[in-house]
Amino acid sequence: MTPLGQVVLAIEEYRRFVVSQIRKARTDHEFGQQILQKWQEAKARIGTTVTPTGLRLPRLALPDLDEAGEIARFLCEEGLPGEFPYLTAAYPEQYLEPAAINSKENENRRNHEKPFIEEPTRLFAGLGLAEDTNARFHYLSRNQRSKRLSTAFDGPTLYGVGAAADGVFGKIGEGGVAIDTVEDMERLYAGFALDQPNVSVSMTISGPAPILLAMFLVAAKHRFGPDVGPKLRGTIQADVLKEVQAQNELIFPIEPSLRFLADMVDYSSREMPRWYPISISGYHIAEAGATPVQQAAYTLSNGFAYVDYFRNRGLDVNVFGPRLSFFLDCGLDVEYVALARVCRKIWAIGMREVFGGGNRAQILKLHTQTSGRSLIAADWHNNLTRTAVELMLACMNATNSCHSNSADEPFTTPSEEYARYAAHAQAILLEESGLFRHMMNTLPGSPGMKVIGNAVEEAILEEFREIEQQGGVLGAVERRYQRSQIQASGHMLENQIYDGVRPVIGLNRYFDQGRDWPEVRMMRTQKEQKRLQLDRLQDFEKRHAEESERCLDRLSEVVDNGGNVFEELTRTVEHCSLGQMTERLCEVVGKFRPMV
Amino acid sequence: MSPIRILTAVPICDGHDSAINTINLEFIRHGIEVIYLGYHRSARDIARAAVQEDVVAIGLSTYNGGHIEFFGEVVDLLEQRRLAPPIKLFGGGGGTITHADAQIMYGHGVDRIFFAGTPLEEMVKYLRGGYGDVARFPYELAFAGSDQFLSRQLTLADNGSGLPPQASETASAASKRVRSTKVIGLTGPGGAGKTTLIDELVLRFLHSHAADRRAAILSHDPSIVGSGALLGDRATMIYSQHDRVFMRSIGTRGMTGGLSLSTDRCLRILAESNLFEFILMETVGTGQEAIPFGVDRHLVDQSVLVMPPDYGSRIQLQKIAMIDVADVIVVNKADLRGARTALTEIESRIRTNRKGQSLLCTQANRHRDTGVDQLFELLFTGTGTGTDTPK
Ligand code: B12
Repeated sequence: MTPLGQVVLAIEEYRRFVVSQIRKARTDHEFGQQILQKWQEAKARIGTTVTPTGLRLPRLALPDLDEAGEIARFLCEEGLPGEFPYLTAAYPEQYLEPAAINSKENENRRNHEKPFIEEPTRLFAGLGLAEDTNARFHYLSRNQRSKRLSTAFDGPTLYGVGAAADGVFGKIGEGGVAIDTVEDMERLYAGFALDQPNVSVSMTISGPAPILLAMFLVAAKHRFGPDVGPKLRGTIQADVLKEVQAQNELIFPIEPSLRFLADMVDYSSREMPRWYPISISGYHIAEAGATPVQQAAYTLSNGFAYVDYFRNRGLDVNVFGPRLSFFLDCGLDVEYVALARVCRKIWAIGMREVFGGGNRAQILKLHTQTSGRSLIAADWHNNLTRTAVELMLACMNATNSCHSNSADEPFTTPSEEYARYAAHAQAILLEESGLFRHMMNTLPGSPGMKVIGNAVEEAILEEFREIEQQGGVLGAVERRYQRSQIQASGHMLENQIYDGVRPVIGLNRYFDQGRDWPEVRMMRTQKEQKRLQLDRLQDFEKRHAEESERCLDRLSEVVDNGGNVFEELTRTVEHCSLGQMTERLCEVVGKFRPMV
Repeated sequence: MSPIRILTAVPICDGHDSAINTINLEFIRHGIEVIYLGYHRSARDIARAAVQEDVVAIGLSTYNGGHIEFFGEVVDLLEQRRLAPPIKLFGGGGGTITHADAQIMYGHGVDRIFFAGTPLEEMVKYLRGGYGDVARFPYELAFAGSDQFLSRQLTLADNGSGLPPQASETASAASKRVRSTKVIGLTGPGGAGKTTLIDELVLRFLHSHAADRRAAILSHDPSIVGSGALLGDRATMIYSQHDRVFMRSIGTRGMTGGLSLSTDRCLRILAESNLFEFILMETVGTGQEAIPFGVDRHLVDQSVLVMPPDYGSRIQLQKIAMIDVADVIVVNKADLRGARTALTEIESRIRTNRKGQSLLCTQANRHRDTGVDQLFELLFTGTGTGTDTPK
C-alpha cells in the first residue's frame, strides 16, 4: 500500500472516531460534561465587535448547540477556526478588522490609503521586460498594507529557453515577464524591500524553478547583503507533478525534476526558513478541464506524494511540512461551496495520522485564484460578475490569499484598468461589504454547505482509491491516469457548453451582443523591447564567457556526484543564463518526454 | 475514399493543450485522420512533420502570444518547399488572437482563424468543405530525394491500400535482398515503450553516424476504415524531430495484426529511395497471437519484440507467439517490479528455442541507459551482444 492508501484508511478511521466521540459524549456523563465545558470556554473567549451601524456582534459565529453529542460532532468534523481538522479555517481569525476600529486608540490606524487588515490580495502579474513588470508591481501594491508580489513569467522563461533560442522571438515578454539572467531578476523587484516582513514574492514557475529561485536569492543578496536568506518571504510554485498532469511545462524527466526539487526544499528549509519552496497546485488541473473533485483529489494526492518523497530523502516532516502551501482554483460549479474546506480537513488528517505531522504541518495554507476558464470573450464585461461570485466562494472557504482575474482575461495580460477592478473586487468584498470583516464564520455551516462537503469528501476518497489501485500517485502518473481523466473532463466541459447543458450567458444563451470583435486594449510587448531583452542576454553571456563554461562543468559534476544541485545553482547563476543552465542540465539528465 | 489527413500542434513555449485535445477528438469523431505533434513545438518541427506526413493542412492552437510571428514562420518554411498543393494553415487561440491580428495573418498566407466561442462543428465543416477531396499527384522528378517527393509516394501507396497487395509484393522474400537499407521491425504489446525506445535509438544514431546519414521511422497506429484516427506517436518523440529523420505515421485502417495493407509498399518505397541507413518500423500494440512481420519475417531484416516486465500478470508467456520468432527480445521498463522474473522466464524459453535469439534488458525512459546502448550496438552496428543464448 502506498501512503495514499494509508490516508484513505486514516480518513475512514477518523469517521469512525467521530461517531464514537458523539456516542461517548451522549452516554459517558463525565465526557459529556467536559465537552460542554470546552464549548462554554470557547464561547467565552470570543470577543465582540460593533458594526458601523451600531450592531454588536461576536467576532466568531458558532452554531447554537447545547447538546454534548452535537457539540462533539462540530468540534471533530469541522473544528473551531485554527483548530484541527481546520475545516472552518486555517487560523483563528482571517479577514477581520481590528476589534474597535472606531475607538480612540485606533485613531491613528484610520489611514484612508491602507486597509485595516492584512489583505489576502495577491495579484498575478507579468508583462514585457523586468522593468515593465516592476512598474506593474508598484502600481498594484501602491495601496497595500502587505506587498504581495506575484510573478507571471513568459513562455520562454517557463520552458527554460533563452530569449535567443530559435523561433521564440515573438513570445518574449508575452503573457508574463522575460527573465534570462540574475540581472533581470534584480530589475524585477527593484524598489521593494525584500528583507522586510511586509513584502513577499511569489514566482509561478515549475520546470526551471530551482534556477529561478537561485537567481532570486542571489539577486537579493546583491541588494541586501549575504545574510538576507532567512528574511526572504514568498513562494515558488515548483510543482513537478501537476506539470506532468496538466500544465505541460516540465523540462527534465520526472525523477531528476523531483531530485532538484528536494535539493531546493532541503536548502531552503535550512537557509530560507520563511520561504515556501513549493505550491501544490490544483489550479492548472482544473483549468485544463478537470472537475472540482478531480482537482481536489489530484492536488491533495500530489501533496501526499511530495511529503512521502521528501520524507524518504531524510527530511523532517515538521521542518518542511509547515513550508508547504496549496493553490486551488475556484469556479462557478456548486462543489466550490465547500471544496477548499474539505481539502483542509483531508490534508490535516493525512498529515497527522500518516506522516506524523505536528500542528503547523497539518495546516493547509491556501492561495485561491478565481477561474480563468469561466471567463469568456463574448459579452466580456460579464466576467466582472463571474469573478465576483467566485471570489465570494473563495472567501467563504477562508482562503489565505487570493488572486481575482481581470475581466479582460480571455484576451490579454490584464491592462492596468481591469487589474485595478480585479483588486478592487476583493476590497469591495472584504473591506466595503460587511460579509467578512466583522465576524468569522458568517456564511458557513448551512445544511447545503455540509451536504456538499460530505459528498465532495466521499468523491475525493473514491478518486484516492482509484489512484491507489494504479500503484499510487507516481504509478498513476506513469499510466497517464490523471492526464486522461482531466482531458476527458475537459472534452465533456466543451461539449456541454456547445450543447447548452452548461449555460454560459452571452455564449449559448442571451446573445445581446453580436459577434463583432469587442473593444479591448491588448497588452503586447513591442519589438524594440524584445530586441532589448536579446541584447541584454547576449551582453551578459559575453561578459561572463570566461567563467560560464567552468561553472556549467561544476554544475554537471554536482549533478553526477549527487550533491545539492540547488546550492550549486546559487553559484552558477552568477555567471550563466537560464538557457545555458537548462541546456546543460538536459545534457546531463535528459529531457522530459512529453505526455500528451 | 481516403480520409482527410491533417497535422495539429501547439507552438513553442506554449503548453495550452486543452483546446487542441478537444478539437482533435472532434475531428477524429468526424472521420478525419489527425497526426498530433503535441505542445511546445518549433515551427521547423511542425513544417517538417507536415511535409513528411503529407497532410493537407496544419491546425495550430496558440495561446502564449507571438502568433503573428509564429504562424508566419510556419508559412515561410512551407513555402520554401514549393509544395503542390500547398499545405494550408489554420488555427485558433481563443481571445488572444484579435480580428486585426487575423487580418495580418491572412495577408501572410494563413487560411483561417477560429475565434473564441466558435462552435466545434464549424471547424469540422471547414475541414470537410475545404479539404474533402484535394487531388494529389506524384511530384516531378526534379524533386526526387526531397522529403515531399518521398512522402507523396507514400501517400499514393497508402491510399491504394483498399486493394490487396500484388502477389509480387507479398512474396517479397526476394525484395529483401535488393535493398541497401536495413529494416528493423519493433513490435510488442501497447504500453511496452516501443516509441520511447525508437526515439532513444535515433538519438544514438544521430550521435554515432555522419551528419549526412539519415534514418526513417514508419509508425503504425490503429484506425478503422472510413473513420478518423489519432496518430500520436510523433508527439512523444524528442530526438526524432530532426532533419536527419524521416518519420511517417500510418493508420492500419481496419487491418489486424499490427500493420497496414500498405506497409509492404511503403517499406519498399522507403528502402528503395536509398536515402536511409536504417528504417525503424513500429507496429501498433499487438496481442499475444500477432506475428506482424510474418513467420519468415520477410518484411524486415531484424525483428525486435519489446515487452513490459509485468506481462506475466496479463498474458502468459507461453502464449506470446512472437517470442519464438523475434531475433531480439527486449524487456523494457526494467525498473518496474517483475523485471527479474520476466528475464528468467524469457531466457529459459529462448534457450529451448535454440534459434540464437538475443535477450536484452532496457530502461528506455532513463537518460543514457546502458541497456539501450547495447541494443543500439546490436541493431545498428551488429557488434553488440545481448544475453546471447548458447548456440
Ligand atoms: C486554460 C488556461 C490555462 C491552463 C492551460 C491548461 C492546458 N493544459 O491547456 C493553465 C492554467 C495551465 C494556463 C497556464 C498559463 N496561461 Co493560460 N489560459 C487558460 C484560459 C483560461 C483558457 C484557454 C482555453 O483552453 N480555453 C478553452 C478553449 C476550448 O476555448 P477558446 O480558448 O475560446 O478557443 C476556441 C477557439 O479559439 C478555437 N481554437 C482554439 N485553438 C484552436 C486550434 C485549432 C486548430 C482550431 C481549429 C480551433 C481552435 O476553439 C475553441 C472553441 O471554440 C485562457 C484565458 C481564457 N479565458 O481564454 C488563459 C490564457 C490563454 N493564458 C495565458 C497565460 C499568460 C498563461 C501562462 C503563460 C501564465 C503564466 N505566466 O504562468 C501559463 C502558460 C502555460 C503553458 N504551459 O504554456 C494568457 C495568454 C495571454 C497572452 N497571450 O498575452 C491567457 C489569455 C490569460 C490571460 N489573460 O493572462 N492557462
